[in-house]
Amino acid sequence: MTETPGISLTIEGRPVTVAPGTTILEAAKTAGVLIPHYCYHPGLPVAGVCRMCLVDVEKSPKLAPACATAVMEGQVVHVHSEKAREARKGVLEMLLINHPLDCPICDQSGECELQDYTYQEGRADSRYREPKRFNPVDDFGGDVLYVQNRCILCTRCVRFMDDIAHDSVLNVSERGDRAYIGQTEDKGLTHPWAANVVDLCPVGALLSKDFLNKARAWELDRSASVCTGCTQGCNIIVETRDNTVMRLRPRSNESVNHFFMCDHGRASYRWMNRRDRLESPSILGAGGHAIVDWDVALAGAARILKGKRVFVLASPSLSNEALHLLARLIRTSGGAGAFRVEQGSEAPLPGVADLALRADRAANVAGAELLGFTRHAAPLDLMQAGDALVIADADLVEGDLAALGRAAATVVIGTAMPALLPTADILLPIANVVEEEGTFTNLRGRVQRFLQANAAPGLARPSWYALADLLGAMGESAGYFVASDVFAAMAASEPAFAGLSYDSLGLRGLPVVDAPALTEAAR
Amino acid sequence: MSHGPSASGGALVKAGAHGHDVPHEPVFVGETAARLETLIERYPNRQAALLPALWMLQEARGWVSEAGMVEVAQQLALTPAYVKGVVTFYTMYHQHPVGKYFIQVCTTSPCHVCGAEDVVKAFLEQTGCGELGVTSDDGKFTVIEVECLGACGFATPVMVNSDFLESITPNRVAEVLARYP
Amino acid sequence: MGYPHQPHPRENTVLSRYFGDAEARSVDGWKSRGGYKALQSALQMDPLAVVNVVKDSGLRGRGGAGFPTGLKWSFMKLGDGKPHYLCCNADESEPGTFKDREIMRWTPHALVEGVAIGAYAIGAETAYIYIRGEFTEPLAIMEQAVADARAAGIIGKNAMGSGKTIDVWVHKGAGAYICGEETALMNSLEGKRGNPRIKPPFPAVSGLFGMPTTINNVETLAAVPHILNHGAEWYKKLSRPDNPKSTGTKLWSVCGNVQRPGNYEVEMGFPFGEFLHDLCGGALPGRKLKAVIPGGSSVPIITIAEAEAGVMDYEGMVACGTMLGSAGCIVFDDAQSMPRQIARLARFYAHESCAQCTQCREGTAWTTKILERMVAGDGTMEDFDTLLSIADNMTGKTICVLSDSCAVPVVSGIQRFRHEFEALIKRTTIHVVPQVIA
Repeated sequence: MTETPGISLTIEGRPVTVAPGTTILEAAKTAGVLIPHYCYHPGLPVAGVCRMCLVDVEKSPKLAPACATAVMEGQVVHVHSEKAREARKGVLEMLLINHPLDCPICDQSGECELQDYTYQEGRADSRYREPKRFNPVDDFGGDVLYVQNRCILCTRCVRFMDDIAHDSVLNVSERGDRAYIGQTEDKGLTHPWAANVVDLCPVGALLSKDFLNKARAWELDRSASVCTGCTQGCNIIVETRDNTVMRLRPRSNESVNHFFMCDHGRASYRWMNRRDRLESPSILGAGGHAIVDWDVALAGAARILKGKRVFVLASPSLSNEALHLLARLIRTSGGAGAFRVEQGSEAPLPGVADLALRADRAANVAGAELLGFTRHAAPLDLMQAGDALVIADADLVEGDLAALGRAAATVVIGTAMPALLPTADILLPIANVVEEEGTFTNLRGRVQRFLQANAAPGLARPSWYALADLLGAMGESAGYFVASDVFAAMAASEPAFAGLSYDSLGLRGLPVVDAPALTEAAR
Repeated sequence: MSHGPSASGGALVKAGAHGHDVPHEPVFVGETAARLETLIERYPNRQAALLPALWMLQEARGWVSEAGMVEVAQQLALTPAYVKGVVTFYTMYHQHPVGKYFIQVCTTSPCHVCGAEDVVKAFLEQTGCGELGVTSDDGKFTVIEVECLGACGFATPVMVNSDFLESITPNRVAEVLARYP
Repeated sequence: MGYPHQPHPRENTVLSRYFGDAEARSVDGWKSRGGYKALQSALQMDPLAVVNVVKDSGLRGRGGAGFPTGLKWSFMKLGDGKPHYLCCNADESEPGTFKDREIMRWTPHALVEGVAIGAYAIGAETAYIYIRGEFTEPLAIMEQAVADARAAGIIGKNAMGSGKTIDVWVHKGAGAYICGEETALMNSLEGKRGNPRIKPPFPAVSGLFGMPTTINNVETLAAVPHILNHGAEWYKKLSRPDNPKSTGTKLWSVCGNVQRPGNYEVEMGFPFGEFLHDLCGGALPGRKLKAVIPGGSSVPIITIAEAEAGVMDYEGMVACGTMLGSAGCIVFDDAQSMPRQIARLARFYAHESCAQCTQCREGTAWTTKILERMVAGDGTMEDFDTLLSIADNMTGKTICVLSDSCAVPVVSGIQRFRHEFEALIKRTTIHVVPQVIA
C-alpha cells in the first residue's frame, strides 16, 4: 500500500491532517469539533439539504456545507464565527416555525438534536406569527409511527430505505412547504431492518410504536452490549430503567454492524425481562424442590457429577467464559458437550457488506464450536447411558424427552427452568446476558465484550461465577474473582483465544487467532 | 394525507368522487408497451423513461392512480413509492380524476397585473365549478390556477387539456367554453 | 421581433427574423432560408475549432447566468472514453420570459441545428431537448422538426454524411419551475424528482447519467449557427463599443403594463428607456410606468427612473441595480400595488421550491405568509425587519438559487417601495388605484 499524502487544514484553530476527499465535517470530528448537522449521517449517502452544517471557510465568500465540501490544503475553517452561527440560528428558526413545540409529550425529548441545538444556539423566541401547518400522525407499518408535524425532511429515512435497505418504500412527496415523507397505500415499513429509521431520525418524527410513551430518554441507563438475536454479533446499547430493559439500540462498529441492527434483534429485549426466572438454588428432595444455600447446592451438584461422565447440553448463547468452564467440566470427566441452534430465515442488509440477520439464532455458535462443543440437531443423541446431564441454559424440544431417561442425574444451570424439562436434581440460577459480563464470538470469529446492565434476580449468580464455584466444589482450581480472570484463563489454555484480553478487546472486539479460516469455512 | 394551511399550496385538484373507484386496466400492453420500449431506447436506463411513461399513463386514463403508478413501477423496475415521490413533485400529473376539460389559468405576476384573477373568476362562474380544483357536477370541467405558463406577453394564457390559448380576457371566456362541449 | 407585431426598425432580427413565418418550420423551408449551412461546415471542422469560434464570439448563456458558452464547452474533455451529453434547457419557466417558446414555435430547425453543432463541439452523440410540459405547441413542433431532420439525414447515425452520430431527442417535462435549474433538469431527465444537485461535481465532470454534460439554453444554441455563418467578429460587433463583455443580439420578452408586449431582438447595449417607451410603446393610456423587473422574476425590481437610465446588456443591467437574467421584462404601471405584486411573486417561489433545503422550503412559505398578511392589512412595522432577516437567511445558503430568487423581489421591493408597504400598515391611502384584495 502506498502512503497517500494527507491534507492539512485548520478547524477552529486546531490543526488537522486527513486523507484527501475527507469532508470538512468528518475532518472536524478528528479535531474534536462537532459541526451541528441533521441530514448528514456517516452511514448514508450525503444529501446536503438541511444546511445546518454551513461553516465559514476563510477566503470563501459563501458559507460551505461541511458535509458536502472536501477539505483543501491550508483551509482555515471557522465553525463558530458570527456568520456561521447566524446561519445556523436561521436554520433552527425555520425548522421550528411549523414545529408543534410539543417536547413534553414527545418521545424524542432528551435525545433530540433539534432540541439540543436550539438550546445551544437557537433563538430564545420565534418571530413566526402565522398559522402553523398541521398534519395527522401516520402509521408507517412495522414498528414505525410518522409524526409529520415534527419532521424536518432531512431524508435520512428515505436514504436508508433506498440506499442501505434497497427497499424504496419511502419517498419525499409533494414539494415546497407541503412536502412530507410518503409511502404508497399498500406497502409499509416491513423490511427486517426498517426500524433503523427510528434511530436515524434526528428528531421526534419517526417513533417506535413499541417504545411509545414508555420512558423518557433521561431516565434510561445505558450499557454497551452485543445482540444475542443471531450470530452476527451486532454491537448494541442496552437501555434500562428500574432494572428493566426498555429498548435495544445499535452501537456503531465498522467491523460488524456499522450503525445498524435488525428488527428481530431489537425485539429480543422482551425475553431479557421475563419474570419466570430461577432465583434460588434448589435440590430435589422427597417433597419436591427445596431452596438451599449456594454452598449446599454446589456441594450437591459436585456429589452428583463426580465420578460420572458429564454430558453438557449447552445454550449457544452462553458466554465464551461460561462455555470454557463447562468445557473444563467435560474434560475432567471425559464427557462431551453439544448444542442445538434455533433456525430462522436469513435477512441481509444489502447496503452493508457482510451484515445480515443470520439463520443461526444464537449469539455464540462460533465460540461454542471453538471450545469443543458439537453442533447437533438432536444433541441428546450424543449422550451415553449413565451420563450425568448438565443442562446449561438450554431449552428442550419434544424429541429430547425420550433421551432424558438415559441420564443418571440432571443438573440445571440456567436463567429459567428449561422448557419441557419435567424436573431436575439440582437447579443453579444464573444471570442472563444483561445481568453479567462476558464475551461472545461472532460468526466471523470476532470476540466481543458485553457489559452488565441489570442486577440479576434473587440469588442468581453470573454464569462464570456459578460454574467456577462448581469446578471448585469438585476439587478443581478455579479461583476467579472477575469475569476477566476467566477470560485470561481461557486465553492461556485455548489456542484460538491466545493473546486476547478484556483490555485488548475494548468495546469493539478483536478476531480470534484463526478467524480467517472461520470466515472461509462459513463461506 | 391531508394538509393544513399552506402559504403556497396553489390550487391543487381536490379528491372528488369522479372515477376514483374504477379498477385499473393495464395501460402498457400491446402497442403501448411496444411504444414504451422504443422510448426507453433513447436513454441509457429504464428509469429515465419515467416522466414519458407517466405521460402515457395519464393520456390513457386521464389521471395517475396509485394502481397506475404500480404498473409504471413494474415496467421500469422501480418501486411504487419511488414513482409516487416523482409523481407528486410534478404539478401536471393528476393525482385525482379531473373533469373532461382541465382548465389551467396562469395567475403568476405578469398575468396577475393584467387581470388574470378576473379570468379565473369568469371560468369558475361559467363552468359551474365554483371553486378551484373542484370538478363541475356534470364532470365536464375542473379549473385550477397555474404558475407561469411562459406566455407572459399574451396575458392571460389558459390551457384547456393540451390546447394552449393566448390573450384570454373575462369576456372571451364564454367563447372559449363554447369550443368544449 | 415582437411577434405578432411587425419588427421595429431599431430591432436587429437575427434569431427572430422568421418569427411568424410558418414555412420556416420545415426542413426545406429552413434550408432555403440559409439553414443547416452552419452545421454542414461545423461537421467539417475540428470540434475544438468550433468551440474556439464560439469562445471568440463572446456568446454568453441566455438562460440567466450569462456564463461564456465557449468556455463552458471547453470544459468537456474530448476523447475521455465516456459518453458525453448535451442538454438543451427548454424548460423556460421564469415569470416574464417567453422567448425560447417563440424560437421553438417558429424556427425549430434553428434549435436543432444549434443543438447538433453543440453536440458535435463537445463530443456528444446524444442530445436531449428538455421542454416544459405546458409548452404543448412548441413540443409538437420540435418533435416534428427533430423527426424531419432525422428523416432528412441531418441528425442521426450519420449526420449530414459526416459519419458522426448525433442523436437528438425531445423530452417532455411535467410542471416544475425548478427543472430549469441545470442539475434539477438532469435529475428530472433521469426520471427523478427535479431536485438541484450539490456542486461540485459540475456537469462537465459528472452531469446527466453521471457523465460529462453540457447544458445550454435554447436561445444560446439557436445563436450558434449564426455565429458560425457570419464569424465571431461579426457577433462581437453587435455590442456597445465600450463593452466587449456582452456581445450579440438579445431577445427580450416584455410583458405586463405596456402598450405592445411581446418579444424584441436588439443588440447588446440598447438604451432601456428608448426600448420601453418606443419599441414597447410605453404605458397604457392614462397610466405611468412605475417599476420594471428586467430579467425575469428572479432579478431585482427597479424603478422606472432607474430603468430609463439603463443600458441593455449584462453589465448595463448590473449598473442600474439589477441583472439581465433571462431578459424577461415585467413592467408595472401606477395602477399596481407593489406589495401585492411582491407577495404574488413570493407565492410563486413558495409553490416551486423543491423542498430540499430548509431555508428555501420554509423561508419561501414564511415570506409569502407575511407578505399576504401585510397585503390583507394586518402588517406591522416589525414585519420589515423579519422579512429582511428571512431574506438574508435565504440568500447564498442553499443548494440552488431559488430561495435567493424569492428574497430578491422582497429586498429590492422594500428598498424601493417601502412607502407602499407602510401605507398598507398605517392604512393610509397612497396614489395606487385601489384594487380588490383577494
